[in-house]
Amino acid sequence: MRFLPLLWAGLWRRPLRSVLTGLCIATAFLLLGLLEGVNAGFSKAIAEAHRDLLVTNTRVRGGAPMPIAALAMIQSIPGVREVTERAYFFGAYGDPLLKNTVAALATDPAVFFQLRPGLIVTQQSLRAIRENRSGMLATPALLQWFGWKVGDAITLRSQTLKTDGSRDWTFNIVGTFDSVKNPANAYFGIINYSYFDEYRVENRGTADSFYERIADPTKAVATAAAIDRIFANSSHETRTRSDQERAEFQAKQLGDVQFFTNAIMGAVLFTLAFLTGNTLRQSIHERIPEFAVLKAVGYSDGRVLRLAYAEALLLYLPAAALGLMLAHLAAPLAQEDIGAIIVVSPAVAMSGLGCAALLAFAGAALPAWHLARMSIVDALRRR
Amino acid sequence: MALRAQILAVTAANIRSIPQRLGNSLVIVVGVAGVVAVLILVLTMFVDFRTTIQGDGQPDRAIILPRGATTEYEGSLSRETVAAVMNAPGIKHDGRDQPIVSAEVILVAPVARKIDNSDVNVTLRGVGGQYFTMRPELKLVAGRMFRPGNQELLAGASASAEFAGLDIGKQVRLQEGDWTVVGTFAGGNGSRESELVADALTVMSAYKLDAFNTMGVMLESPDAIASLREALARDPTLQVDVRAEPEYLATASAGVNRMLRLVAYAIGSIMALGALFAALNSMSSAVAERTLEIATLRAIGFSPSAVAVSVLIEALLLALLGAALGVAAAYAAFNGRTISTLGGAVWDSQLVYSLTITRSVTAAAILVACALGLLGGVLPAIRAARSSIAEALHQS
Repeated sequence: MRFLPLLWAGLWRRPLRSVLTGLCIATAFLLLGLLEGVNAGFSKAIAEAHRDLLVTNTRVRGGAPMPIAALAMIQSIPGVREVTERAYFFGAYGDPLLKNTVAALATDPAVFFQLRPGLIVTQQSLRAIRENRSGMLATPALLQWFGWKVGDAITLRSQTLKTDGSRDWTFNIVGTFDSVKNPANAYFGIINYSYFDEYRVENRGTADSFYERIADPTKAVATAAAIDRIFANSSHETRTRSDQERAEFQAKQLGDVQFFTNAIMGAVLFTLAFLTGNTLRQSIHERIPEFAVLKAVGYSDGRVLRLAYAEALLLYLPAAALGLMLAHLAAPLAQEDIGAIIVVSPAVAMSGLGCAALLAFAGAALPAWHLARMSIVDALRRR
Repeated sequence: MALRAQILAVTAANIRSIPQRLGNSLVIVVGVAGVVAVLILVLTMFVDFRTTIQGDGQPDRAIILPRGATTEYEGSLSRETVAAVMNAPGIKHDGRDQPIVSAEVILVAPVARKIDNSDVNVTLRGVGGQYFTMRPELKLVAGRMFRPGNQELLAGASASAEFAGLDIGKQVRLQEGDWTVVGTFAGGNGSRESELVADALTVMSAYKLDAFNTMGVMLESPDAIASLREALARDPTLQVDVRAEPEYLATASAGVNRMLRLVAYAIGSIMALGALFAALNSMSSAVAERTLEIATLRAIGFSPSAVAVSVLIEALLLALLGAALGVAAAYAAFNGRTISTLGGAVWDSQLVYSLTITRSVTAAAILVACALGLLGGVLPAIRAARSSIAEALHQS
């Protein structure tokens, strides 16, 4: 610490060069932070996803729905705590245009909200839909889109035929729910499966998906396999995955984007190492006589070496920290514009700073080694 | 001495002295090379994605979607609607007087990427019998056509190269059991090669679907779209939008396009900013190291502007050298590489395309390099021109 003024003076000997090099480092770490933040965003989504919540879907998307009788069979599998069914309902409010389409999930709301922690509902709304068979819970965004309010009865024209021969389904909006992560952008409703299934003609007694919660998250794979065995070799084979596996699956869909970010990060690091290495080399080279004086007054080789490394760190670390800070500030903007989740987390910052330290050591290594080895006489003579 | 001769003389002297200050000069070269390589990569990703999505659009083909639909998979077209469109005016007929149309269902099939065995989806397109007549750019390159009524598929060449289990004779597990790959098709510049194709009615019966999602028609001429649109608008039971294929493809990919462009520009400009600092650093050091030399030149009568311009020229030449290195590195590392990512016809299906570095992308990157060289050189050049001769000579 005592040497800080000395190091500081060394850096400011050529202020323009130090400032420009620092800005280079900061810009590079802004980019590195953002790119690494994209990777961290996916890892975070995967890490936060529940391992004890499973979803059973038909193995083939768009395939035949599963019989509701399987619900009891799933429930009887050891380790399965709760299970509920889900079917889709689509209907149009007014003209049958796409923008008038309302999508609703038909399920058992009492269980469903326990198994979907990403959706929040008040006790009052939950009680209301349980007491009102033809009730519907809607997101605030959906209410606003159509100008509905709680208490309204709405009629939706659907492709799904009713037992009375009509295609008009009337629901009472009894409450609201919302998405935790995506409030104001979730456009759908929740209806009672028992009501929907009783009145539909086709696909009666089936579900598109089952949601489960298991007692022991470490047994997710085995339990999922046990659930899928119920449907094996039937015309509706299933694929059960935990929320965590689903998040992993989603991350994989971007495919070669990983190659892309790695290629850019590689190019940035290589360029940066070269540029800053040159600055360090010059800066130390110019001050060889000064270091020689230090050695002449009794500084050991190791101490001179440490001084050179410390000066490199003093140049890299604050600049890298500035860049990472900018990345942290820019991340929400990028998220808004690009839709990617970018998390410049403490882990990203630490690995960035570690990387900066490595670059500083690598850049200072050769000139510093040279310093430590030089003879004082030769060095002083160069004045 | 004329200004031009002075500039030439000073520039030549500068360039001859570069080997003595190699490290500093290489900073601008390597910095610019890095920017150019990254710029070429991000721009190529963006431009090639756009070309692939929009590549096969032909003005004499139209896409019919349910009113308000912006993508092919989200809405449904009833059989009655499809029949009505087939009989509408403006649609080209083949030799046997059949309208050249293809009513399609869009689904996905789960496959595994060869490279890391990860699960992804590819678009499965159930098509009408005239699909290949309507799209003459696509050719069956191996195997045979599927036979309607049998659970058979054709795989696009890009899809079968990128994903496992799509070779001829292999089975793909879909609804109602296994479907056999019986042929491979290729051609066109677009996204179709990333898809699987089967007979629409066979797919619909296996999946118990009673509606199509989208419909393509071949027009008598690009202008015939007006009469088709008018005829379909007259029938109030038909709630459909008719769009020329190029227009449809442009709107369908607008969102992803915008996102990719933003990413390319954001990464490109951050890189360029960093390289600008490097170029400034490099050129100011170059001027600082030669304070004495520059002062001497000026003392013996070289004009300040000759000195300034020669610094600019040196910066520009170094930047161009960097650009050449960057272009070479980009070609060696990325050109011809296959990319598989989201962008298929369904929101979560894959699009496979290969990175082809175009001349305009290369030109844009070289222009940026020149701008960096000039911007990095201008302040040091002014400083060199303004420096006081007496002071500089005195200091040494």
